Amino acid sequence: MVHLTLNGKIVQAREGEVLLSVIRREGISIPATCHHESVEAFGACRLCTVEITKKEWNGWKDYVTSCLYPVQNDLIVDTHSPAVVELRRTLIDLQLARCPNSPEIRQMAEEYGITTTSYEERPDGDNCILCGLCTRICDRMGFAAISTVGRGYGRRVAPPLDEPPPDCVGCLACALNCPTKVIPYVDKGTTRVIWTKQFELMTCTGCGRTTITRDFAKSLGESRQISLQYFEKCDDCHRRELSQTMTRIVSWQREEKP
Amino acid sequence: MTSQFIVIPDLCTGCLTCELACSFAHPVEGKPGRTRIVVYTTPVKELWIPVVCLQCDDPACVRSCLVDALRRNPATGAIELHQDKCVKCLACVAACPFGCSLLDGRHNLIVKCDLCSGDPVCAHFCPTKALSFRPFDTGLLKATA
Repeated sequence: MVHLTLNGKIVQAREGEVLLSVIRREGISIPATCHHESVEAFGACRLCTVEITKKEWNGWKDYVTSCLYPVQNDLIVDTHSPAVVELRRTLIDLQLARCPNSPEIRQMAEEYGITTTSYEERPDGDNCILCGLCTRICDRMGFAAISTVGRGYGRRVAPPLDEPPPDCVGCLACALNCPTKVIPYVDKGTTRVIWTKQFELMTCTGCGRTTITRDFAKSLGESRQISLQYFEKCDDCHRRELSQTMTRIVSWQREEKP
Repeated sequence: MTSQFIVIPDLCTGCLTCELACSFAHPVEGKPGRTRIVVYTTPVKELWIPVVCLQCDDPACVRSCLVDALRRNPATGAIELHQDKCVKCLACVAACPFGCSLLDGRHNLIVKCDLCSGDPVCAHFCPTKALSFRPFDTGLLKATA
């Protein structure tokens, strides 16, 4: 066990844990837009930056991204010191300059007292903060259909060659976990369009409701050895089927011993 | 894993107290969440079927999860969903052959029965003990058969 001081309170942490998970466990709220527990920490958004120091550092302080910094004994952490709040404000200000129309970024900026950015707004800005969470989740799920392309000012998230990505299965994990909800997708009838690729949605043979895409079901069937029959019905119909089976069993039992 | 969750549909009166108890035991943002147990009415006289996760030996939901958000808790034997790891791809909802991995559409969350970490609230509230959580008893199956 490791003992450290977090905002003046001594807390325990496991060896090898990162600061952010200790901060979250203690119920302290700091923004961390590029963080997701299912993927490794990346340190792209830098918003989880905290101030650290130690007694033997003689007043020296350091500013580290808590999602990447492992806990140490006798570490003194401050998540809301004036300097670190100012640092975070600057970062949010920069994000607001890039994505002036994103409601998520605007709300975060308002929490830190920023209404308009003090930098020049990007004229052709979209709402992507380039945190790379979508590409990392896609890699983690084993598809790796999208990636960041270009460098510097022109960097963006895109499928290879800006064509419909051959490896995409249309699971929507990228779009649903995007911190600024910027990845567009359309579900219409039995088709889904994401990254300009068109998918066919599985239709429940019982009630006609659509579930996941056929490509996703096929890929799960191959990689995880799940029978495609499992995907033919929706969860509602599966439950109803189970209750009907149980009804049959109970009524047989009742006939046997009236 | 020393206890098992037992559902005896013959004793169920369809009072839906279990659904209420489950909702209140799993609140989201301070409001009742989606229930993990669903009671179905049947055409048979005086028969209701509570449908809840069977905690399968070879679970399709765990197999289908590409980010390891679903894992079995060795202490209780229940398959638990780690909410912060879930990427909401709905693979488990589609894969479960019993439909017991549910989508809470209002809060956009996946929910499933985790046996309340070893003390199911629904079993406490069931007035007729149609739902019970008790230590393994090999004699029970013979007695009800």
